[in-house]
Amino acid sequence: MADLLALSDIWKRFGATIALAGADFTLGAGEVHALVGANGAGKSTLSRVISGHIQPDRGDLRLDGRPLRHANAREAIRSGIAMVTQETSLAPDLSVLENIMLPRLGQRGRLDWRGMRAHAGHLIEEFGQEGGLSLDVPVRALSIGQRQMVEILKALAIDSRVIIFDEPTASLSPMESEILFGIIRALAARGRGVIFVSHRLEEIFSVTDRITVLREGRVVAAGVATDHIAPPELVRLMVGRELSDVYARGARSGRAPGKVVLSVSHLAAPPRVRDVSFTVRAGEIVGLAGLVGAGRSETVETIFGLRPASAGRIELDGRAFRARSPRAAIRAGIGLIPEDRRGQGIVPDFSVRENLMLAHLGDHHGPGLGYDRRSSTVQALLETLGLPAHRVLDASMLTFSGGMQQKVILARWLLLGPKLLLLDEPTRGVDIGTRASIYALLRRIAGEGVAVVMVSSDFEEVIGLADRIVVLSDGVTVTEIPGDLVDIENLAMFAAPRSSAARTRTLLVALREAYGGIACWLGLDGERLFCFDRVGDDEAADPGFAAGGFAPIAATRIAAALAARAEGFVSEADGRASLLVPIRGRRGHDLGMIGLMLPPRAALPDAAAVRARIEAATALPTLTIADAA
Amino acid sequence: MSMTEPLPGAPARRSVARRLITQIEARMLLLTLVVMAALSVVSPYFLTANNLLNAMDQSVVVGMVALGQTMVILIGGIDLSVGSLAGVTGMVLGLTLPALGLPGAVGLALLTGALAGLASGAIIIFGRLAPFVVTLGVMSIGRSMAYVISGANSVGELPARLGRLSTDTIGGLPVNFAILLAAYGAAWWFLTRAKGGRTLYAIGSNAEAARVAGLSIRLWSILAYGFSGLMSAVAATFLASRILSVDPIGGNGLELDAIAAVVIGGASLFGGRGSIIGTLFGVFIMVFIRNGLNLLNVSPYWQGTAIGSIIIAAVLAERLLSDRGRG
Repeated sequence: MADLLALSDIWKRFGATIALAGADFTLGAGEVHALVGANGAGKSTLSRVISGHIQPDRGDLRLDGRPLRHANAREAIRSGIAMVTQETSLAPDLSVLENIMLPRLGQRGRLDWRGMRAHAGHLIEEFGQEGGLSLDVPVRALSIGQRQMVEILKALAIDSRVIIFDEPTASLSPMESEILFGIIRALAARGRGVIFVSHRLEEIFSVTDRITVLREGRVVAAGVATDHIAPPELVRLMVGRELSDVYARGARSGRAPGKVVLSVSHLAAPPRVRDVSFTVRAGEIVGLAGLVGAGRSETVETIFGLRPASAGRIELDGRAFRARSPRAAIRAGIGLIPEDRRGQGIVPDFSVRENLMLAHLGDHHGPGLGYDRRSSTVQALLETLGLPAHRVLDASMLTFSGGMQQKVILARWLLLGPKLLLLDEPTRGVDIGTRASIYALLRRIAGEGVAVVMVSSDFEEVIGLADRIVVLSDGVTVTEIPGDLVDIENLAMFAAPRSSAARTRTLLVALREAYGGIACWLGLDGERLFCFDRVGDDEAADPGFAAGGFAPIAATRIAAALAARAEGFVSEADGRASLLVPIRGRRGHDLGMIGLMLPPRAALPDAAAVRARIEAATALPTLTIADAA
Repeated sequence: MSMTEPLPGAPARRSVARRLITQIEARMLLLTLVVMAALSVVSPYFLTANNLLNAMDQSVVVGMVALGQTMVILIGGIDLSVGSLAGVTGMVLGLTLPALGLPGAVGLALLTGALAGLASGAIIIFGRLAPFVVTLGVMSIGRSMAYVISGANSVGELPARLGRLSTDTIGGLPVNFAILLAAYGAAWWFLTRAKGGRTLYAIGSNAEAARVAGLSIRLWSILAYGFSGLMSAVAATFLASRILSVDPIGGNGLELDAIAAVVIGGASLFGGRGSIIGTLFGVFIMVFIRNGLNLLNVSPYWQGTAIGSIIIAAVLAERLLSDRGRG
C-alpha cells in the first residue's frame, strides 16, 4: 500500500512545552488509522499539523510523495485534507446548509445554491439520521450531537482525500456512533485515508486498521495492525503503566444505601422531558442513560431549576420541591456539573481560585467575599482531588487539561457540601488517567452519603460506575436496572429511541392481532433475560416478565424455549408454546429476539410463516454511501 | 501539562517588567505619564498648579459618569442614556430647588437618575433586549423630558452653597475631585473585594456559568444600570455646582466621553474584563488631551479628529500590549 500521507521527524514546541519530539506517521489510502495517546501526548497537535492549523517547527510532510507545505487550514483543505474537530467550529447563526457548505464560501465564483442543497440533502440522507436534519434550521437550534453531525457532513462535502476525525464520538450516542463508523469504513473503502483520534478503546478496536500510539510527543508504537494488539497492551502503551481497574468496580459497596434523597415522578419539561420518574438514595450513584436527545441533560437541568417543569413532582428529602432558579436548587443542597464546561462551567476571565469559589460566592451572605472562611476546606479539597495547590493561583484555567478543569468545577460544588450532586457527562474530554481518578472520587463522594446522579453517553462508564441505571428514551423513563445487571448491548437496546423502536412495536402488535397470545422483544445476557417491549396481556400465555423488566432465565415461564432455541414452536411443561426468532442489526450485530407466546392448547400457526414475517419486518435497509464527495 | 512548576504553594513569579505590561492598571498609569510628559513638553503651561487644578475639576463630571458606565460595560452592557439623564436630572435639581431646598433637590435628582437607570436595567433584563437599543430609547426620552419639564429654559443663579462643592478644597485637593477619588476607591474595593463586584465580572465573562453557580445575575445586572443612572445624576450635580446654572442641553455627548474613557481604560465591550483604576486613568487621559489641545489653541473643529484618533490609538496600543502580556 503506497503511503498517501507521510510525516517524518515532526517537532513542535509551545513555549516551554515540547508537544512533538520527532514524531513519524504514515497513512495509506483506504485505511483507517488510529492516533491514540493520553491527554497531552501530542495527538491533537499532530493532527493539527496535518490539517494545517499549526505549523511544525521542523519536519517533513508529504502527500502522495510530494512535499506538503500549507500555511493555513484553507490551503490544507485545498490539497484535500479536512478535519472534524473536537470542539465544533460551526457558525451558530447560519443554517445547517450554509455550515455544511461553509468551505465553498471561501472559493471564487458564484454560489450554486441549488446544487449545494441537493448535495447536502444527499449527504444527510446517506447519514440515515433518524428524524432527519433540516437544512434550513440554524445550527444554534441543534443539540451538541447534531452539531457534531453537521461538522462531519462539512468534511464530507469537500472532496477530501484525508479526513481527520478528532474525538468524533465524544458527543454522539452509540447509535449515531455506529452510523459514523459505517461512514468511516465506507470512506476508507473508497480509497480515502481516515485518521481517527480517540480515547475510547472499544471504538479504536472496532473501526481502525492500524494504530499509532503517541506518548509525550514521541511515537511509541508506529502503525501497528489493530489485530495484533490487545486492549490492555494498548492502554499500557498510552499511559506507560498498568491501568488496573479504571472504574474501581471493587469499590462498589455492598452497603445498603441510605434514605431517599431525591424522588422524581412523572416529571415533564417540554419539549424534551415528557415523563421521567426515578429515585436516588443517599450514598448511591444513579446513572441516567440514553441517547443524545433522550432528555437526560434536560431532566437534571429541570431538577436544578435551569428549565421550568410543566408537570410532575419532585421531592427532596421527602418534601415537595421545585427549584425556580439554580439559586434555589443550590440553597436546597443540590449541585450541578454541567455538560458544556466551556459554556456553563468556566468563567474565562476569572482565576482558578475564583472559579473554584464561584458557587461559594453565590451562596455567601454579606457584602465581602468570604473566601478566607473556606480556605481550610479548599486545602483539604485540593488534596483529595490531587490538584497542585500552586496552580490554583493561575490567572486562567483555560490552559488546564479537561480533566483538571473538571476537577476544579467538582471542587466548586464539594465546597458547599451538597446532599445531591448532578453530573452531566462528567468525563467528556477527560483523558483516561484522570477519568479513573474522577471515578474513584465520585465513589468516595457517594460513600460519604451524597446522592449522585450521573448523565453519560458512555454506556461503559454508566455500567462501570452506577449502582442503578435509569434508562430514558425520547423523554420517557423506559426502565430501571441495577448497574451490575446489564451489558452495553442490552443497555443500547433499552435506550433505542422510541421512534426506531416503533417499528418493532408495530410488528409486535401485528403478531398479536394475527396469532393471539403475547408478543415480546427480548434480549439475553448470560443467564438473564431482558424484555424491551411486550404486547398483549393474555394471562394464560404470560411469559413471566413485563416490558422494561429483567428476570433470570430459569425464573421465566418460557425456560424450555429459551434453552432449546429451536426453529419452530417449543412447548413448555404446562403446554404453553413459544416461538423465538433472533433479529440482527445492519452491521450484523445481535439485536435480541422477537418472541410469540401462545396459551396452552392454542392452535399453532406455521412457524416458518411467522418467522418469515418477523424477518421481513425487522430487515433494515443497509447503509450505503453512494457518493460521499 | 508540564509538571516542572515551582514548589507547591509558591506563587508563580514574574519579572517586574512583565507585571507592568500584564497588569492593566500599571499599563494605564504608564500611558497617563507618557501623555503628561508629552503635553508638558509641547506646552510649558501644562504642568502648572493652576492648570492641573483645572484638569482635576474637568475630570469630575466625566469621571462620575464613567464610574457608572464601567459597571455596565463590565457585565457586557452599555448605557447610552447617561448624558441625557445628566441633563434631565440637572433640570430636576434646578427646578425643585426653590421648593425643596438644596438637600431635597439633590436627593430628588439622584433618585430620578437611579430610578431611570433601574427602569432601563429591568427592561433589558426581563425583556431580554439589547442594552444598546433600550438605553438609546431612554437617551431620547431623557433629553426630551429635560426640555418638557424646563420649557426649554435654563435655570440660573443656583445657590452659592452648591458652588462650594467645586470651589472648596480639602487637604489641597478640590472637594469635588476628592469625592471623585473617594468614589473610585470605594468602587475599587467593591469590584475586587465584594460579592457584588465579582458577580458583575462573572456575568460579563460567562453569564451562563454564573447562573449555574447560583449567582444573582438578574439582580446585579439591573443594579449596574441603576448605579449608572445614579452616577449620571451625581455628575449633573457637580456640573451644576461648577457653572451654577442648569440647562436642558446639559450633559450633551457625555455618554461618548464616558464610554471612551472606559474603553481607553482597558475594559472590553464584551464584558468581564476591565478595571476601575484603568477607567480613572482613561478619564485623566481624555481630560489631559482635551486640556492640552486647548492650551495649544487647536481649533475646536479639529479637536474631535484629534480625540477620535487618540481613542483608536490607545485601544490599539492596549490590545497589542495585552496580547504580548498574555503570550
